Amino acid sequence: MSYEYIKFGKEEREFREKIEEISGENVFSCYQCGKCSAGCMFSDKMDRTVNQQIHRIQMGQKEKVLAANTHWICASCLTCSVRCPRDIDVAAIMEAIREYILREEPEKIIVSELPKEVLERLPNIALVGNFRKMTG
Amino acid sequence: MVQYSYFPGCNLKTNAKGFEKSAVAVSKKLNAELVEIPNWNCCGTVHTMTSDNLMKRIAPVRVLSRSRKHIEELEDSPNEVATLCSMCNSTLKIVNKEVKVDEDKLSKINYQLEEDEETYAEDMEVKHFLEILRDSVGYKNIAKKVIKELKGIKVVPYYGCMLLHPEEAKIDDEEMPSVLEYLMESLGAEVIFSPLFKFCCGSYHIVDDETIVDSQVSKILQDVRVKGANAMVVACPLCAYNLDYQQKKLIKQTGEKNPIPIFYFSQLMAIAMGEPIEINHFEDHQIDPRKLLKELKLEG
Repeated sequence: MSYEYIKFGKEEREFREKIEEISGENVFSCYQCGKCSAGCMFSDKMDRTVNQQIHRIQMGQKEKVLAANTHWICASCLTCSVRCPRDIDVAAIMEAIREYILREEPEKIIVSELPKEVLERLPNIALVGNFRKMTG
Repeated sequence: MVQYSYFPGCNLKTNAKGFEKSAVAVSKKLNAELVEIPNWNCCGTVHTMTSDNLMKRIAPVRVLSRSRKHIEELEDSPNEVATLCSMCNSTLKIVNKEVKVDEDKLSKINYQLEEDEETYAEDMEVKHFLEILRDSVGYKNIAKKVIKELKGIKVVPYYGCMLLHPEEAKIDDEEMPSVLEYLMESLGAEVIFSPLFKFCCGSYHIVDDETIVDSQVSKILQDVRVKGANAMVVACPLCAYNLDYQQKKLIKQTGEKNPIPIFYFSQLMAIAMGEPIEINHFEDHQIDPRKLLKELKLEG
């Protein structure tokens, strides 16, 4: 890891503080054991694993955190949160990253563009759940 | 007869009618009747994990408040709202615990509810129907009501995420759950363990990226087939939809010859207790379970 990797400017600090405020968690509690990513059922589909994302937040890598698909792939199954040895609600941090983005750009999924057939076929809980996670 | 104030949630009225009808039917047989709350509303489906958004917590509190009123009209009813859908169960339980410890949150939410002359009562608890079956009815009493043992059904219990996570909402041990195992054994079915019992089905990604769900579902089903099971039992309408509907799609793509029917636990109970098969609404399933039931002479 190069020295340039660590950024502690005002913008980066504010980003970390905002994530901590939304999630109610302290990201520095994480000691990078990797248990969350080891048990994550979606790790194989993520650009970066969950613990890598948390490490990036600790290091102030705002741009890189936001550019990854990790938090969008996370389906909030909460396996990481119940297993974390540091008692961090890891899934809440993923939710906080989603919220951070959605509060500025509220449409990760555009509901009006979904085909009618899909809306009629899918269970209500899938639709409501998805819109709650993917729209602001 | 003990009556429970029962919160159905939206899906039990649309995609999972068989889940509700079979559960209500067996609940009457077991002296723990599920009586629907009048004018209930959606619970919000997924619990918000943000610390600063009260809006998303109002709906579950409103459900609890209406359920409390409903209980006064019921017979021998404990102060519990019974749920069937595991997502509703988890959302209601988490918010119930949150407002019990956070007076500030509660008073702000109550301020919203007062407009409709409703208030949250602190003595309410949320119970999943499986918890009622385990703790109040008991497996022995369930076994007594079985008139048709489910011989030949080799079933994998699949819990999904929301019955076991998070800590505040779990109905059983999160790493070693047993409630579905014991329930199935009491019906005379053979239980087969799959280590993927809580391997997330992909959940709401069915809306935005089906490939995620397909990959999860094919892993889960592959293990079920390797273990030699011929059925799966679930408690969540979304798990059931993903495993059933996407399985049909995957079978078309791969030519797999061994379809695994997905049952709700209450449907298997209804069959074992001799309820008419129509209440299970098997016509809504993509992988028709009636084929397996016919082979095993459990139909009708």
